[in-house]
Amino acid sequence: MKFSSDEIASVLQQEIEQFDNKTDVREVGTVLEVGDGIARVYGLSGVMAGEMVEFRNGSIGLAFNLEENSVGVIILGDYLTIEEGEEVKALGTLLSVPAGDAVIGRVLDPLGNPLDGKGPVQTDITRPVEIIATGVAERQPVTQPMQTGIKAVDAMTPIGRGQRELIIGDRKTGKTAIAIDAILNQKGKDVKCFYVAIGQKDSAVASLLGVLEKNGAMEYTTVIVAGASSPAPMQYVAPYAGTAMAEQFMFNGGHALIVYDDLSKQATAYRQMSLLMRRPPGREAYPGDVFYCHSRLLERSAKLSDALGGGSITSLPIIETLEGEVSAYIPTNVISITDGQIYLQPDLFFAGIRPAMNAGISVSRVGGAAQVKAMKKVAGGLRLDLAAFRALEAFAQLGTDLDAATQSQLDRGYRMVELLKQPQFKPMSVTDQVLSLYAGTRGFLDDVPVKAVRRWEMDFLQFAKDKHASLVSLLDEKMDLSDEVIQMIEACIGDFKNGYKPVESAI
Amino acid sequence: MTEFVKHETVLDTGAEKLGKTYARALIAAAKNQGDGVADTIVNQLAMIVDDYLGHNPQLRDAFASPRVSHAEKVRVIDRIFGDELHPTLLKFLKVMASRDRLGYVYAVRNAADEIFDDMMGRVVASVQTAVPLDDVTRSQVIERLGSVMNAEIKLRESVDPELIGGMVIRIGDRVFDSSVQNRLNKLAVKVRRGFSSKLLERFDQFISG
Repeated sequence: MKFSSDEIASVLQQEIEQFDNKTDVREVGTVLEVGDGIARVYGLSGVMAGEMVEFRNGSIGLAFNLEENSVGVIILGDYLTIEEGEEVKALGTLLSVPAGDAVIGRVLDPLGNPLDGKGPVQTDITRPVEIIATGVAERQPVTQPMQTGIKAVDAMTPIGRGQRELIIGDRKTGKTAIAIDAILNQKGKDVKCFYVAIGQKDSAVASLLGVLEKNGAMEYTTVIVAGASSPAPMQYVAPYAGTAMAEQFMFNGGHALIVYDDLSKQATAYRQMSLLMRRPPGREAYPGDVFYCHSRLLERSAKLSDALGGGSITSLPIIETLEGEVSAYIPTNVISITDGQIYLQPDLFFAGIRPAMNAGISVSRVGGAAQVKAMKKVAGGLRLDLAAFRALEAFAQLGTDLDAATQSQLDRGYRMVELLKQPQFKPMSVTDQVLSLYAGTRGFLDDVPVKAVRRWEMDFLQFAKDKHASLVSLLDEKMDLSDEVIQMIEACIGDFKNGYKPVESAI
Repeated sequence: MTEFVKHETVLDTGAEKLGKTYARALIAAAKNQGDGVADTIVNQLAMIVDDYLGHNPQLRDAFASPRVSHAEKVRVIDRIFGDELHPTLLKFLKVMASRDRLGYVYAVRNAADEIFDDMMGRVVASVQTAVPLDDVTRSQVIERLGSVMNAEIKLRESVDPELIGGMVIRIGDRVFDSSVQNRLNKLAVKVRRGFSSKLLERFDQFISG
């Protein structure tokens, strides 16, 4: 391959000819002090809050604090080579990031610079990082489902497009796993996915990228990384940058799913910046506006009205708790902002119940309207039953004799718990979920040994696909449990049970 | 000491505020005395800070020190400046001494300069060029800036060969940059961006053979 130098020269010539030779007018200031990702600048008297400034080394900063005599600037990038006394110039614009199809499949930093070695993002579309969320008139209620492919979530805390569902739990309880499964399940569903890693270990992000790539999810996913080694201002703007990229799709009638992993680290970064800027500390030393920091971010997830194209952003913010303490400052804040939460518990996780979702306190406040009819019929009441089962189970451990009704309730509960277990990176289709939950909630599993339930489910779903393809396609199409469909499901289960012997080793 | 440079890099907001207040009072008092007094006083104040305090750290320390009594400070002021200074400025220094503010004379000077310039409709413009300005260019710059800003221009010149050509004019916090260096940088950014988008658009045409 040879490059034609004539062609290159002519393009360069055009660019040079089009260059307009105007005097550059700019507002400037002088660095007074710099360190820890922030700088105090003297001058810049006309700068506005949130305006971009540029340092001599090319780093971008944002005017964060406008004080009487100086301007507090957060530095997005390298602050180690900025010197005291050097000139800072105001750029007169707000921070914006590249958006549109060009960002899909990329790994970017919060400013839109490439981290995947594939060169700069080639696009003319940019979007401001901080915008005020759409208002009441521009929205409509959440009605379309956003399937995560996880039985427990789709059945008990369904998520709709445009919803904000918090994933909360201690460290190592599978929070990220739920979000990743949700992303993997969007394959072929025309939903663009954004994974914002805030303050994560770079090794963790790298292995996650491996998973996304292996499962073909990078075709519709953008990963925005502000790792643990990024300066606090980068970690602070990362979720806003990710949302700006997602908004490009929402405002053009598309759908997006965005995962903020995790917002507690973003709050910590914001706290660091605020304290360095000498804003007064409040509860847990967080600044007074840390609530607004999260609420204005999550308000940008919305389901737009039909007049605006009906696009949506669904967000899955993640919060890490310490020792299950959900009443700490940041968890309560985010719980109150979101439309529900999925609460993951370490003891369930280590008991092998994965996803380790606590059915009692996990809720979805708006997703019910978005659930498909079939799922609503099989899973209605499942969450409460399961919560009741947990209470009963604790009571039964006292060793008292139980009456037959209670015992059967317990048996059903054990099987449902078993049925809701699901391996990682194996999202299920709605049809499969409906079939297996139908079998579980209607008591078809009561005579299957508890330990054989998962094997039974797997074999049953395979059987339904192979032998009762008409049922599967009918369910796929209707997404409702009409009498006809119910008859077919029961016939299918009957058929399967007649010829099925659980493998001995499983029992 | 960097303390005496304008826009010192250690920002003492308290000192700045204090200086402004005292300077306003000083200039108002000077104006009451008649024409030209303010000019004299501002010049003399600059002389105190630059010549006396700037070259004499001991005097500066004595002024700032709380261990030197007011009476002693007043005596020192009388002895050193008694003949030279305008009586109003002398009184002003004594007032500062009695209020334990003599250490802030430099802040008062900075603020007084600013207020006085502002009052006289004077604007300070710093001009950076690649080669020293000649008289013709200098008068052209002053004339042009004066007509644009509608004010008398006080020029502060400096030379920076890295600009290659053209000049950078700074008035207040606003910079007018028409240097060759800046234009080249901007051209480089624009050409790089334009070229890479063209490359993406029609990659095939760039390859021959």
